[in-house]
Amino acid sequence: MVAGWFEGTPGSLRFRGAISVFMCIIFGVAAFSGALALDRSVNGQRNDAAQLVRVESIRTNLVKADANATNAFLVGGLEPADARAGYTSGISAAARALAESAGANGGDAPVLRRVNEVVTTYTGLIESARANNRQGFPVGAAYLRQASKVMQEQALPALDSLVTGARNRVDAASRSLALPIVVIVTLLALGTLLIVQVWIFRRTHRVFNVALVVATALVLILGATAIGGMSWSQSAGKKVRQGAFARTVALATARSDGFDAKSAEALTLVNRGSGQAYDQRFVSVASAAGRALDAGVAPVAPDPAATDARIAFVQYLTDHAEVRKLDNGGEWEKAVAVATGRGAANQSFGRFERASGRAIVHQASHVSDDLDSARRPLVPLAWLALLAGLAAAAAASRGLNQRLREYR
Amino acid sequence: MRPGRWFVVAFALVLGACSSSSTPNSASVPTTTAPPTTAAPPVVSCGEAVASYAPTGGLPSPGAMPTGSFMGQIQARGRLIAGVSADTLLFGYRNPLTGNLEGFDIDLVHQVSQAIFGDPNRVEYKVVTYAQRIPALLDGSVDIVADVMTVNCTRWQQIAFSSQYFQAGQKVLVRRDSAATRIEDLDGTRMCAATGSTNIDNLKNYPKITAVPVNDISDCMVLFQQGTVDSVTGDDTVLQGFVVQDPYTKIIGPPITSEPYGLGIARTHPEFVQFVNSVLQRMRLDGTWKQMYARWLQPTGPVPEPPAAVYGRNP
Repeated sequence: MVAGWFEGTPGSLRFRGAISVFMCIIFGVAAFSGALALDRSVNGQRNDAAQLVRVESIRTNLVKADANATNAFLVGGLEPADARAGYTSGISAAARALAESAGANGGDAPVLRRVNEVVTTYTGLIESARANNRQGFPVGAAYLRQASKVMQEQALPALDSLVTGARNRVDAASRSLALPIVVIVTLLALGTLLIVQVWIFRRTHRVFNVALVVATALVLILGATAIGGMSWSQSAGKKVRQGAFARTVALATARSDGFDAKSAEALTLVNRGSGQAYDQRFVSVASAAGRALDAGVAPVAPDPAATDARIAFVQYLTDHAEVRKLDNGGEWEKAVAVATGRGAANQSFGRFERASGRAIVHQASHVSDDLDSARRPLVPLAWLALLAGLAAAAAASRGLNQRLREYR
Repeated sequence: MRPGRWFVVAFALVLGACSSSSTPNSASVPTTTAPPTTAAPPVVSCGEAVASYAPTGGLPSPGAMPTGSFMGQIQARGRLIAGVSADTLLFGYRNPLTGNLEGFDIDLVHQVSQAIFGDPNRVEYKVVTYAQRIPALLDGSVDIVADVMTVNCTRWQQIAFSSQYFQAGQKVLVRRDSAATRIEDLDGTRMCAATGSTNIDNLKNYPKITAVPVNDISDCMVLFQQGTVDSVTGDDTVLQGFVVQDPYTKIIGPPITSEPYGLGIARTHPEFVQFVNSVLQRMRLDGTWKQMYARWLQPTGPVPEPPAAVYGRNP
């Protein structure tokens, strides 16, 4: 009985009917899951971008704390209240961001736990440096050096690896296969429906089967809508990656490198006359910060905060050149005065710190807002496409049944 | 306007300005003084190590250095450039309370500045590690090194020394509750010493002790307080500074070696060595040396006599 099901002309008709219904259902399911996969991917990019900003903020705050600790030591005497406040706020902001990042991404958690341990060691060393310093013991300087070393060699490379990981995930998400699959399945479903209709026309000489035409139209219209919506969403995501996201990363890098440069400036002075290695570090991190700042300012309608950050950094470099000139000319005390407290280099760096902080917040909120709006059409489209696929399947089945009845 | 361009230009200008003004003598410095890799440091004979060049004539008046002499060049430059330590309490250290460099060695530099300029403060300090002291003299980045530097024949091959201004000896710092009384009791333990010092060379005579080298001897103190090393070896003068900073420590044993200190000067400036020797001799005679000893070493007993100058070496 079953063997005879597909025999003769009615059998061929049944066979083609089954294929048409199947393809319509496949279309609906593929478009449904494709749109949802793209939605997950864009959402993943949003989360990875947010994680990247959090990890960069850990890094920046640690470097900021270290720069403040070194600068406080440089002044001599009782540490300045603002430098101490800068250190404390850097450490607590880093601790907060560490907890948030570990909660937001379980994969990053083991590395973040390790960073947390290093921060504990670091703060211990800094407190030893302070305690010795308060008693007038020069061994405090050795503790400060060791603390800086622990930070530079253990905490920062671990954080850099997480930043790279998040960037790679964002890039990988952009290579989603959802859209090409939906395009192929839609074309296959349309092709099947057209071939079946041509076959029926040849056998029965009836030009139109209304139900099959309806099924074809449903697949065509909803397929085109889903493909259009998905490609819009994908290109919106790409725009964000190349625009606000790239600028966020660049500004965060610039800020972090900027603090690193300030710390190198202070260490060059602390090591009075034999700090050339730190001076070389200054040149390399300050160049990196400059390049990153260039990338962080949008070419069209730039964020005023980002522009301010760049202007302030150029001013800081000029002031830093003055610090080096004084120190190399044997006027160490004057060099220290320019580099600390109300000195020009410290003031212009403060402007850079504030402006770059504001600019990162602006760009990061653009990233999440824009990716949110890129996601918006995907879920409704997914459900519409599924319903359309099922409706088309029902219509195709009905249309072929009409023809079959003519053979009874 | 292209916002990216002016930044790159401004940046290049600023960086160019600061990199061209920095002194180009850092990267290769430590390798030139790598300690000999043989089991014991080579013994070089040079007669009596502490013998220096005898001064000729009296001291010129401050501010009237002979033209053509190295002192004349220093006077023309307007400041004396001295290589010193910033973390050797009592001898050369940065006072955390004031941010100023202080100590016995720093006072010696002030005396030399006074003799050249009539002003004790015409000094630019360069903080050097032990391993940087000789290279800094050789490349001319400092005029004089005042940094607890031991006079010996090996070093005489590269640089010149003033007459001896202090007599120290290498000892060992341990925990206050340690049962060890001499260095031989510390076999099988870890001992920290500074790279480029005579101390670490001397440790090669104690092969059962694991030497832990660091750049600055104050880094030894950090490792010691963290329990990473069991003891620290250095000159008694330096270790005394550590005991002041940490009451849970003590210095043990008879001195392993004798460490006579001299001021290091490039061999190309014998007239400056003679000048400094005259300054030191005046300090021995007029009581300045004893005052400095009393101020920095704070002896419980009477202040000892300064080490007598020995001459007889020819430039």
